[in-house]
Parts: sequence; structure tokens; C-alpha cells
Amino acid sequence: MQTRQLIKRSLTHYWHTNLVVVLGVAIAVSVLAGALLIGESVRGSLRDLSSRRLGKTDDLISSPHFFREQLAADLANGVGATCPLIALEGVVVHEPSKRRAGGVKVYGVDERFWKFNGVANVAAPENRNVLVSQSLATELGSAPGESLLLRIEKPSDIPVESLHGRKEDSGKTIRLSVAGTLGSENLGEFSLQPEHGSVHAVFVSLRFLQNELEQDDKVNTILMARSAQTQPDQQEKSLATLLKSKATLQDLGLTLTAINHEPFMSLQSDSKIINEYVITATNEAAKTFSFQMVPIYSYLANSISSGERSTPYSLVTGLDDQSLAELAKPATQSETHPPIILNDWIARDLNAKPGDTVSLEYYLWHENGRLETKRADFQVTAVVPIAGLAADRGLVPSYPGITESEDMSSWDPPFPVDLSRVRKQDEDYWHQYGTTPKAFIPLSTAQDLWQTRFGKLTSIRIESPVNQPFSQTAFNFQESLRKSLDPALMGFQIVPVRDQGQSASRGATDFGEYFLYFSFFLVVSALMLTTLFFKLGIEQRAREIGTLQAIGFSDSGIRRLFLVEGTLLAGVGSLLGIGGAIGYAALLMYGLRTWWVNAVGTTALTLHISWVWLVVGAVSGVVAAVLCILFTLRRLGRSSTRSLLMGSEEILSRGGTTAQRKSFRGALAPFRGMFSGVVFTVIGLALVTMGALQLIPRVAAFFGGGVILLVAGVCYLSTWLKRSKKPVIQGAGWWTIARLGFRNATYRPGRTVLCITLIAAAAFIIVAVDAFRRSGASAADRKSGTGGFPLIAESLLPVVHDANTPEGREALNLNTDEATLKNLHFVNLRLRPGDDTSCLNLYQPRNPKIIAPPRTFIDDNRFTFQSSLANTPEEQNNPWLLLDRQLENGAVPVIGDANSLTYVLHLKVGDELVIDHPNGPLRLRVVAALSDSIFQSELLMSEKNFLRLFPAEEGYRMFLIDPANTQEASAVSTVLEDRLSDFGFDVTSTDERLANFHRVENTYLSTFQMLGGLGLALGTLGMAAVLLRNVFERRRELALLRAVGYNSSHFAAMVITENVLMLCCGLAVGFVCAMLAIAPVLFERGGRLPNLSLGILLLAVLLSGAIASLVATLAALRSPLLPALRAE
Amino acid sequence: MLKVENLSKEYPTPAGPLRIVSDVSLTLPSGSAVSIMGQSGSGKSTLLYMLGALEPPSSGTVTLKGQNPFLLNAKQLAAFRNREIGFVFQDHCLLPQCSVIENVLTPTMVANNNGEPTQRATELLKQVGLAERLNHRPAQLSGGEKQRVALARALIMKPQLLLCDEPTGNLDERSARVVADLLLDIHDGAETILVVVTHSKELAARFPQRFELRSQRLEQL
Repeated sequence: MQTRQLIKRSLTHYWHTNLVVVLGVAIAVSVLAGALLIGESVRGSLRDLSSRRLGKTDDLISSPHFFREQLAADLANGVGATCPLIALEGVVVHEPSKRRAGGVKVYGVDERFWKFNGVANVAAPENRNVLVSQSLATELGSAPGESLLLRIEKPSDIPVESLHGRKEDSGKTIRLSVAGTLGSENLGEFSLQPEHGSVHAVFVSLRFLQNELEQDDKVNTILMARSAQTQPDQQEKSLATLLKSKATLQDLGLTLTAINHEPFMSLQSDSKIINEYVITATNEAAKTFSFQMVPIYSYLANSISSGERSTPYSLVTGLDDQSLAELAKPATQSETHPPIILNDWIARDLNAKPGDTVSLEYYLWHENGRLETKRADFQVTAVVPIAGLAADRGLVPSYPGITESEDMSSWDPPFPVDLSRVRKQDEDYWHQYGTTPKAFIPLSTAQDLWQTRFGKLTSIRIESPVNQPFSQTAFNFQESLRKSLDPALMGFQIVPVRDQGQSASRGATDFGEYFLYFSFFLVVSALMLTTLFFKLGIEQRAREIGTLQAIGFSDSGIRRLFLVEGTLLAGVGSLLGIGGAIGYAALLMYGLRTWWVNAVGTTALTLHISWVWLVVGAVSGVVAAVLCILFTLRRLGRSSTRSLLMGSEEILSRGGTTAQRKSFRGALAPFRGMFSGVVFTVIGLALVTMGALQLIPRVAAFFGGGVILLVAGVCYLSTWLKRSKKPVIQGAGWWTIARLGFRNATYRPGRTVLCITLIAAAAFIIVAVDAFRRSGASAADRKSGTGGFPLIAESLLPVVHDANTPEGREALNLNTDEATLKNLHFVNLRLRPGDDTSCLNLYQPRNPKIIAPPRTFIDDNRFTFQSSLANTPEEQNNPWLLLDRQLENGAVPVIGDANSLTYVLHLKVGDELVIDHPNGPLRLRVVAALSDSIFQSELLMSEKNFLRLFPAEEGYRMFLIDPANTQEASAVSTVLEDRLSDFGFDVTSTDERLANFHRVENTYLSTFQMLGGLGLALGTLGMAAVLLRNVFERRRELALLRAVGYNSSHFAAMVITENVLMLCCGLAVGFVCAMLAIAPVLFERGGRLPNLSLGILLLAVLLSGAIASLVATLAALRSPLLPALRAE
Repeated sequence: MLKVENLSKEYPTPAGPLRIVSDVSLTLPSGSAVSIMGQSGSGKSTLLYMLGALEPPSSGTVTLKGQNPFLLNAKQLAAFRNREIGFVFQDHCLLPQCSVIENVLTPTMVANNNGEPTQRATELLKQVGLAERLNHRPAQLSGGEKQRVALARALIMKPQLLLCDEPTGNLDERSARVVADLLLDIHDGAETILVVVTHSKELAARFPQRFELRSQRLEQL
């Protein structure tokens, strides 16, 4: 016979025990590999979801301003299929029910969209007909034929936060008729951003939407599908090149026009303001063609006055010094005020002459939402006739509401004008000269007075040298300028949406990792059970081991035999576990879609089986099991062969041989447990004391202390169970029998300690985890997670007025006479849309949402910080000041919520996050972390940095609202949503917002507890097995007891007492240590003890343990006791 | 030759060392067959285990073929036992998962030079009258049969020393007689030193040399 055969025989002969070992390993592997499968499944589901929602789209070109629809066709030749569309966000109101849905994706599409995506059975909507996504239709309860009101932002090239931007009428409401609903199979959930929640979308006719938005033949988005031969990594680069070659100046929002058949051109921007980048590019192009560039800044003066005379509403132009000098030679030098040149019309009107002082009154729009009338004095240096440059209407860009008006009296600018001031001569001038400026000032002065963050010039005049043929060079110049402008720096974005979606689907949260943590105790329980049964199996074969030793097997040889057996069992277990893992993962995925849906916020998660992860889990399980087996076998051979041959089963005990017992170490053995207990107690108490004195972080100290004291408790119990001197059990009655039961627990102290440890650890975890459940914060507490703001709001359209000022309230229709709106305080925050950084977003955020609070908010020093880089007393007192820090290497300071930073962005204070920015990668450095705040979805940046980095993001879109009376928060919320519905104003209570975040965390904790509970159940099962084994091994004693008159009740009492001892010891040690560990948390929430469900869970453990005892008792009574007695 | 000099064994107890075997000396040439008798607890099994190098003595030496096994390391000791010593226990100690022949072959699994173990095992089983039961499991055998398998297993490596601890202790009279006959028949003419510990006067009487352990000391009868 060969060793192989012996192993084979042993495996089959001891199949009962081996089966349990196999099952133990199978459970461990199932849980381990299953947890890994969860991670893969979540990633796979997100990948699928993102891919499905993109249709055939691989890449995307978008721009904040509209461009030619034809550009899509122009690009198609170079890259593959393209599809132009309008993509916006809006608010939809179901007219019959008045139900409202925000954050709706609005797509203006035609038949090309469905063709592009290969959807054949959908007819493109026409006119007012709209197709609605299934989820939106469900939410609104809409049916075909019913009316929907769609509120969207009206596209405007002119910045809202400039004088000529329309502030009150920035949105548009369109009535639509539901033509049908679109399921996800027909791209009803089409989304260009990876998001796991249901998509609310409406599909409107492209032509109709273009018409409504006054953007004929224009779109803001092009979808692109790569041709098969395109390499993904080259796509973005080649697209950028292609876009640069195909985009016209018109696409880039610029217009270059010839003026009056003269050798002049005027470059204007659709935004009516030209930024530094375009100025530089134009300058370079002009130099190439030897053109002269005249920078211009024109502005509307409300009045120009001289003495008692005043001329209303005149355009004033700032010119560079050279142009001013060419316009007129100064008749006098200005001394006290900046110079101004008047045309002869206004000079006459004002009766002004060189040397006189004139005053300009003008409006200035402040970024904080105020319109201010300002005044500046000038000294007239010259008067010029209306001719040449002074007669050029092109010096003033076309301002909607002004320049197209036939009469001044029909002006409709986006700022207040007093048209009663317009005189007949003003109208005459308007009719004759239109927007021809009446005055000219130095460009630098104009820029000082009127420049905004959006640009430094209103137009550029380009003059060709007289000797050049203008028309050809003008064309060449235009081409040169066009080629020199990078569309990316003009607002165009090329987004590889499919690649980004795939990348983001790696997820902010590694669910595999989380479920590994959650299942850790279950894995440990399974492995402990495996170890326990493997150990029992070896103990069962004591005589066999003795025989093998007697016939010449060495200890290492026997160990090897058992190791091979154990490894084979682990292998079989792992194979079974692979099947179990799929089942376990499927169950947990079901849980994520149902019981724990709050943690993931979607029901779209499905099981994705990855053989790689299954093998990793299986191998890990085998390795863990083999390590446990090796650990078990390490003591094999310490017992004497003789004792083994006599059937002693203490082959794996710590007792060792006689010689070892006689050694010094052996003599110390009984005290080792006590000594260890004392050492652990000292360490545990030291940690707790240091935590109480706040020498180290309190939560960590108490938690660590609790764990160490738990270990100490187990050591004491171990010492107590293993003590040699035990009082004599004497007397009669149930107490004596119970004591006999207690004594039985000391029969195999190792097993008992193992069970107690398992139960104590499980109880500890379940109780301790429960303490970390979060409840709501006090909305009135300025240092709480709400900052003391009961309400928070977001708007679809930017709000540029400050609702804290009377003018702002008036503009926003927030009548202060109304009691509900009295004493409302708003904190207006700027917002750059981006990815949600909270645990509510399953996808990995790439470009986080960023908000910028105002200065007053920073100085107010609300909220509590968990950590920060503060190192000055001022910063330590108010860490918000860190946002103003100047950091090296151009990094920008940001503040985030500690939870989001840790669990979603995986950053800590001091780390940097690099995001995309048109000017190149932008480095954001985390300077502080807020403690459990309402700002979990975004990062906070100073307003100064925000305006510098994101000048195109206008107005305020987030608001913290502090009503004087917090009891009225709900009423305030209703009124504000109503009054500001045109802005798509959505108010939420901060409690609710925080509770949404907490719900996710609490659901995770529930998951952890549930899986911990399963581990506890497994521990209880192990305990039952130990009881059964003990009963089996002591069947001779039991037989003897039966022979001498013990009945079933006595046996039951004995076994139950033994079991209750184990359970109570485990639960007590675990519970007490857990309570100590969570003391700081308990203290913070007013000493509230863990909830009722927890008590029920622990009670269930006690009951299941009692049931296990009864099973063991029944087994004891059913076992053939008399043969055992005869054998004795 | 088995040479035992001043062999003693004592166990530590709370009341002080408990001496089991005291100052035993014995020399047995090859081919000897001896029985050792004694009352229960007299230390005869302890003496046997010390002779078989399963339990170290407190003092004194044991040498078999000039080799003191207690001077060997654990691995060498295991190999020595495998090669030179055969055991038969009161409780047969057969591996329940293995068949009869597999049980007999068990020692050959760790031996350096196996020769033709299966053939020898078959012969030995034939010798003990179990030629027809080679593939039976121990559970299918009677007590006497199990003990005969144990005897075959003890002899498979042709040991220099065959130690039997109450080989008939668990057997009925008839089975005991069969096992005893076999033991002596097989030993007859062999070079093996046979030491049998028994409390059976009948079995002991069949051995040419008889000893009794009395008051921890070995006395020749």
C-alpha cells in the first residue's frame, strides 16, 4: 500500500467529519469569492448600464454655446458616424397633476438620432410632440396626449453676470404633448453621463426646439461613433485636430465682418465681450498679415453731463492711445481727470469744449448680484466731427434690445432705462447715426471702469494697409485666425464618453472590498469551524496516530499525511465553494437590489460571474484553510504514543509531553492565560485612559481598548476553564447538576474557549457596529453637519440677484411683506456642475461638482471640521480660511466632506485631485475635511478661485437658507419653490439631505450586521457541534450516569447549563467590551443604548444556542449508551 | 540482543514523583521469548513501552543490537522503530479505513527498503489464517481476527524485537488461544526477541522465560 492509498482510505472512511471540514471550507470560499464577485458584479453592472445608456455613442463634442448643425456632417467624413442634437437639462411639470420632476435630460433630436443608434422602431417626435422616458412617465404619471410644461434655460451668448445679460428672463417654458413613452431598449434612458439611478429624459423634435430657442440650424452637442479601425487612444487627439480644422469662426462664437467696404474688419464675439485668448490670437494673426489691430471697449453711459446739461443713453468707446491720437489731436491736456474726446454732436448738445469736465453716469453689475449706478468725471481734450473712425457704428457690438431698435423709445435692454429722458434730438441722432459712439476715452480707462471677468474688449478693429488687395487678405486672415484658435479653449469639449463611462464604472466604492469586510467575520467563523472540525477529526483518530507512531511513522510524516488530507479536503471544499460563491453573490446582489437598495440607489445591478475572481477566492480560501490546518497540526506529536494508543484525544492540547510539562515553561503554562489577560487588560485600560484624556483620538482609543479588553476577557475565561483546582461538586438537586454542566465545559477547554471567542467577537461586532449608525443633526446647530441652515436649495437656472437685498428680492418676486419670507437669510453659492462625490454616486467621480461659498460664509465659521491643514491660530479657529491659502505649484485649496474624501474620492487632507480644465490639468488640494456635513456631494472652493478658474459658470445655483423661525422651514420651502419655479428652484431640508447620506451608511452597517449575524449563527452551529462532540466523546460517562440513575431531564439540564455558560460568557464579554468601545459615540448621542433590534438579535443567538443544547441532549439520549458502558 | 540496564520510570504527581519501574536490568539474546506478568498498574506496560522506545525512561538504558534508541533524534527513532521493533497491542489498533492487507502493509509505507511487501503481507496473513480476508475491513473481523492482523502487521518488517501488550487481553478464551498459538508458532525458529506482557498466567506459562514485575522490580520466575 502506498501513502496515497492510505490518504484515500482515510478521506472516505472519515467522511462524516471530513464532510463538515469540506463544508466549512466551502462556506469560507463561498463567502470570500462571493464577496469578490459582488465587486465584479457591481462594476460589470455599471459598465453595462453606462454602455447601454450611451447607445452607439463613443465620443461627444459639446459646447456651452450653440454651433452649426452642419459641423456634425463636416466631421463625419473624418471619424465615422456623427449625430447632431441639442442636449439640455430642464424641469418638467405634468400639467394635469402638477407633478414636477427636476434634473430632466432634454434632447432635441430628429430621425438621425435613432438611425445613428440603430433604433428602427421609433418615430422621431415632431412639433410639440415629446417622447418621455419610462421612469419619468412613471414618476409624473403621464399618459399619451397629456400636456407637459418644460422649463429650460434659454441659451444666451451674453454672460448673465454682465450688464447686457438677461437676468429675469433666462429661462423658457415650452408646452409639449406626450406622444409616447420610451423604454430603455429604445434609448429611453439615453444618458451621456454615467449615472446609476433612473434617467428622466424627454425627446423633443430638434427643429421645434431650435425654433423655440431661436437657434435655427444650431445644436450644442454632436454624438460620434468610432469607425472600427479607430484606435481609442488616438481618437480624442484626432478628433481635436479634426474639430480645429472644421470649426468655423461662427462655430467658435466669433464674427469677422468687413465695414462699409473699407479696408477694415471688425471682430466681435457672440458674447459681446472678447477674452484674452482671442485677443492674443487675433494679435498674432494680424501681425502675420501686417494688419493693424485696434482694441475697442464700448459701453453705454446712462448720461453724459456737463454742468446743467445732460445727454441720456450714449455709447462711449475706449480706444488705445494711438487710435485716440489719430482720432484727434488733443486741444488741451487733461490734468485732473482722464481725457475724453466728444463728437461734435454731443459737444454741441452739452455745450462742452476742450478743457471742460464732463461726467459719465453708468450702470455697473456687481458679481454679488447688485446693479449700481456709478459716476466718473472726464476732461474734454478734443471735439471731433462724426467722420472716419468717429463715424464707425461697428465700434459697438450689437446688443439685443438696443442696437436692433429703430427708435430709442423702443429700447428693451436687460437693465432699467428711463425712456422718458429720451429727447427728440436723441432720437434724431439714433436715426442718423445709430450706435455711433458719442465719446471716446482711453482704452485703459474704459477697462478700469467696465472690464469684467469675461473679457477685456468688446470688439477688435482690424485695418489693412492701403496698398493690399483687401478681400483676399481678409479671407486669408480669417482662415489664419480660425486655425490659430483652439476650440477647446473656446468652450468646446471633446469627451470620450464611452471610455470615461467604462473607467468610472470601476466605481467610487469597491463593493468587493466592502463585502469582504462585511463578510470577514463570516469567513473567520467558517474557517474557525473548519479548524474546529479538522481538530475534532484528528482527535477522533488518536489511536491511529499512536499506531502510526508505533510502527515507525515520524511526527513530521504523520503531520504531512494529515496536511495532504486537509489540503485535499480544502480543495474539494473550494470547488464546492465556487458554486456556493455564485449563490452567495446572487443572494447579496438580490439584497442590494431589494433590502439594501438604499445603499446603492438602483435596481439595475445584476450578477456578473468572473472566473478570475472565483479562482482568486477559491485559492485564497484553500490557502486560509491550509494555514488553519497547519496551525492545528503544529502541536501534533507532543502527546506520548502510549497515551494516544490508550485513546487519549488530547493530541492537540497545549499540555505537551511530560518532559515539557516539567520544564520551566511548562510549569508556567497554567499561568500563561492569566498573565496574558493581565497584560491585555493593562494595555486596554491604558488606551481607554489615553482616549478619555484625549491624548489620542477618542474613538480609535476606545475601540482599540475595547477589542484588547475582549481578548483579555477571553484569556481570563480560558484560565478559569483550565484551572486545575476545582471545587468538589457535592450535594444533590438541580444546582449540583448545573455545576456538573459547568464542569463539563472544562472537559475540552480549548474547544469551549474557541466557541466563546467566536460568540464574543460576533456580539462585539454587532453591538459596536450598531453604535456607528448615524442619526440626524440638529438643524439649528451652527456647528452641526447642517451648519445651522434648515434648508438647502439648488436651481436649474443661475440666479444672479442677491435675495438678501431689497432690490434682489424685488427682482426675484420675493415680497418681504409676506410673513413667511420675512427675515430669510440666503447664502448664495456658485456651482460648477460635475460628478456627485457622495456615497449616493456609484460611479467613480472624475470631475467633481464644485461649489464656492461667499466671503460672509467663510467668516461665519459654521460646520465642524474633522481634520485640516490649519497651522495658524486664525486657521485653527476657522479652517474655512484655508480656502484663501496660496499654494505652491498652482494647486487650488478645496474643502470636502470627510466621508466623501475617504470612501468615494479616496483622498485625505493634504492630497491632491487632478481634474480636467480647458487650460490644462487643474490640481485641487484638500486643505480640510468637514465632519459629516451636508456637503458630501461636492467640493468647496473660494469664490475668488472659482471665478478665476470657471469664469463661464455664472450666477448662483446653490443656496443655504436660514429662516428666522426654523419651525416655518417647511412653509418657506413651499413658497420659495413656487416663487422661484422659473429658475427650477428645488428646496430640500438639510436634515433630509443629511439623512439621505446617512441612509447609505446605515444600510452598509445593516449589511455588516446581517453578515456578522450569519457569522454568529455559524459560531452557534460550531458550538452545537462542540456540544455534540463532547457528548459523543463522553458517552461512556453518560452511560455510567444513566446506569446510576440519571434521567433525560438531568442530561438536558447538564447540556443546557454547559451551553448557556458558553453563550453567556461570550455574549457578556463581547457586549461589555463593545459598550466600552463605543462609549464616546454613546456619549455623543446622549447615552442611548443600541436599539431594540439589536437586543432581539442577541436574544435570538441565546435562543438558537439553547436549541443547539436540546439537539445535543437528544443526541446524548439517543446514542447507544449501554454498548459504551460494556466497552468500559 | 536486547540489553536493559537499571531502567527506571517515575511520573511527577502533586504528592511528589511516583515511581512505576525501578532499576530493571535484563539481557535477551536473539530468538528469546519471554513473558512479563504483573498486577494491573504494576508498570508492566510502561516497561514494555520503554523497551519499544515509545516512552523514555527516567533513568537507565535500553540497547537493541547495540543501539540505544533514546539517543536518536525523533526521525531516526521513528525509522529505528519501523525497522527493528514490532508491536501488538491489547486493542488491535487497526486503521478502520484500511483493508486487512493494507493494515499489514502500513509499516512498509515509511520503510526505506520495502522488498516485496505485498507478497510478504499475503504470506503472513496466510500464516495467521486470514488468507481469505485480505480485502476485508477491520469492522468485518472478529476480535481474534483483528489481533491476528495486528500480529501480521507487527511482523511485516521482520523486526528484531516483537513486543506484545496483553495481546489476548480483549479476546475470548478460544480466540486468545489461537492468537497465542500463532504468536509462538511464528516466533518459533525466528531470530526475533519476543516480549509479551500479560496478566494471563496461562499465556505466560507457555513462554520459556517468565518474569514478574513486583514492587516496581522485575523478578524472574
